[in-house]
Amino acid sequence: MDGAAPLFRMEGISKRYGGVRALEKADLTVTAGGIHAILGENGAGKSTLIKIMAGVVAPDEGTMTLDGREVSFASPAAANQAGIVCIFQELSLIPELSVADNIVISDPPKRFGMIDRKAQRRIAEEALARAGASDIHPCALVKDLPLSRRQMVEIAKALARKPRILILDEATSALTAADVAKVFEVLKRLRSEGLALLYISHRMNEIAELADHCTVFRNGRNVASYPAGSKSDNEVVELMIGREYSHIFPPKPGPTAAAATVLEARNLSWADRLDNISLSVRAGEVVGLGGLDGQGQRELLLAFFGVLRGLSGEILIDGKPVSIASPTAASHGRIGMALIPEDRKTEGLMLPMTVRENLSFAALDRLSKGGIIDRAAEQRLIDDMVGLLAIKTAGLDIPVGALSGGNQQKVVIAKWLMRQPRIILLNDPTRGIDVGTKQEIYQLMRKLADAGAAILFYSTDYDELIGCCDRVLVLYDGGVKRELVGAEITEHALIASALNIHGEGAGPRQGVGA
Amino acid sequence: MSETTLGGIAGRMPKFLRRADPAVVTAFACIVILLLLGSLYSRSFLSPEYLLQQLKVASFLGVIATGMMLVILLGQIDLSVPWSVATGAMMACAAAAYGSAGVALAIPFGVLCGVAIGLVNGVGVAYLRIPSMIITLATNAVAQGLMVVYTGGFSPQDSATAAMRYLATGFTIPGVPNAVIIWALIGAAMVFVLTRTSFGRAVYGIGNRERAAYLSGIDTRRIVLIAFAVSGGLSAFGGVLLAGYASKAAQSMGDAYLLPSIAAVVLGGTSILGGRGSYLGTVAGVILITLLQSILSVMQMPEAGRQIIYGVVIVAMLLLYGRAPASR
Repeated sequence: MDGAAPLFRMEGISKRYGGVRALEKADLTVTAGGIHAILGENGAGKSTLIKIMAGVVAPDEGTMTLDGREVSFASPAAANQAGIVCIFQELSLIPELSVADNIVISDPPKRFGMIDRKAQRRIAEEALARAGASDIHPCALVKDLPLSRRQMVEIAKALARKPRILILDEATSALTAADVAKVFEVLKRLRSEGLALLYISHRMNEIAELADHCTVFRNGRNVASYPAGSKSDNEVVELMIGREYSHIFPPKPGPTAAAATVLEARNLSWADRLDNISLSVRAGEVVGLGGLDGQGQRELLLAFFGVLRGLSGEILIDGKPVSIASPTAASHGRIGMALIPEDRKTEGLMLPMTVRENLSFAALDRLSKGGIIDRAAEQRLIDDMVGLLAIKTAGLDIPVGALSGGNQQKVVIAKWLMRQPRIILLNDPTRGIDVGTKQEIYQLMRKLADAGAAILFYSTDYDELIGCCDRVLVLYDGGVKRELVGAEITEHALIASALNIHGEGAGPRQGVGA
Repeated sequence: MSETTLGGIAGRMPKFLRRADPAVVTAFACIVILLLLGSLYSRSFLSPEYLLQQLKVASFLGVIATGMMLVILLGQIDLSVPWSVATGAMMACAAAAYGSAGVALAIPFGVLCGVAIGLVNGVGVAYLRIPSMIITLATNAVAQGLMVVYTGGFSPQDSATAAMRYLATGFTIPGVPNAVIIWALIGAAMVFVLTRTSFGRAVYGIGNRERAAYLSGIDTRRIVLIAFAVSGGLSAFGGVLLAGYASKAAQSMGDAYLLPSIAAVVLGGTSILGGRGSYLGTVAGVILITLLQSILSVMQMPEAGRQIIYGVVIVAMLLLYGRAPASR
């Protein structure tokens, strides 16, 4: 980059988690006195980049320079020492301690080896004032503060560490509109004081208001860097899309005669995570759930499967209202529902148990008479499933944890197919598995739908939603914001509606219905 | 006795032994070593009479440890064993004082009292989500209180029924004590339940990953409830047998069974974290503990020394087995 000498520079940073590439030769330059926005899809590598900057994870390769000198951070404390402070998405405050205790927690002022409470309070007051939150009393307990105030304390805590580079990772996601305005005032003042700010947000309007400079990440690389305001929203979305490889998806049957609705939700709400969701899935249909990560998609699937308590609204199966109190109720009897959970290692499988035991685990009631397992029937059904899904295993009596990720996922799917479910909920089933297995899963999904199953499919990969789904519902803030049917399902439409920048929902934020 | 020697032996063993859990093999090897060490002290340690006597003593612990194993496989623990044992014994003897019907129903009544304690534990753990360590300790205290109220704090005067004495000390098959046969039957039933039934699979599944078991449509709470009820019932049945052995119940007669029953299960290679272990290992653990106790007492080791050795052995075994990394 040109202009003033950069304060901080990252060059050729790569990071792998297991076999998954999170960052590949990424570069980033940060100058003092500017607000730098970082944009990208889910899994584009933004969070990993931030974690490397903040010393949370170490890069596999690449160099970082601060003030022209090469640096490396062994821990977050080392990064703080160098003046890089990060405010993470998840709050890091301890609820049982006071605001002042939290603000100085990493390095409290000491007198005779004890914490100097007077000095601590002074530091806290200064930091709160700088953060524009002098209305918060330093002695109040954090647990007594509402979420938006806590976020302000978090910012004050970061400022008390005297940062030169302040990173905000979705730091405004819990704030009310009034607070966001206040935080923006503070950030602009910090900019004029000469701090470098890195700002990560999915809210395009916030970035438009705040940023001086933007960098777009895709697939672990920085693909574009431009002064804020020089590109339209549409251009930015196109930069974020890109694609490296195209999957081979089975052909969609196209619009057919309307089959019966199998699964329906009416005004489903849960805590502040699900907001008045109504949807229906017909037999033979693959309905996708889109949107950014963490907008309520997982909760929606868990709600259908009877895991969540305190749900309001109605769930209808075959048009009749049912109450699903547990996964047992959801999977047994006439409902016949199956959930392929998000994390196969902790939710889908018992890793130390054998492939055989895992495969038949969900169907034990069907394979046993009077509680005694019919081993011959079990063997027959397992052989069918291993053949149908082409599960590659060295034997049925080895621990399932010894299989590859793709084959483990096949075991999770197979164990549910043994029940012949009518309704199949899939929670990001292709995460972290190889392309070949992904294709097999797409084919299988279409095959099951053709055989009459109703499929609800959440994926963080937009290509999959486009390639597999007859309809896609885009969720935002716990509510369905848009429904895309057939040819409407494009990357552009998906990303635009995921960011909620289309149509009447373009305002900064809808109030979350209480 | 080092691991390398054991590994070398394992390499030369027949196939069916090599497939066995190394923990179980280790436990059986320890039994042999204990017997050989004992025989250096006195020849009589290898006599059939002594061994049969030990097996009979072991069967009481074996019955109790069977229930404990089921609970430990779930990743839970049952600390209400001492007074479940005493309650079973006292209530069976108490029932015997109520005429011929009482005599006939003495054994089921005693066992049912244990099942009741187990049900309270199970409801607490499965439905109220109270940690098993807390709720079972609490029910143990309550059971103790109830028994003290019933007996007035004195040694109970009711004596065991003839049936109880016959089960504990009689011989149906010449040369084989009935207690050993009972343990063998209960053990065989447990092996069947653990390996052939959907209940057994669910127990291992919950012990390995409760969340995955729950999301697989298993009614995990029911399974946990049943397991605790079985554990309570088997503890009480152990107490019934002990009362038959001693002809009457006694205060705090179960205290000597809490640590040994946990130790036996863990020594047999069952993971204290749940989900892993075989009944054969528990059998080995029970025999090992009984022999250890017997040899220490023959050598006139004071009670304090025995307690210290138990504790040390359990810690050592936990370090060996409980710390094995989970495959992921």
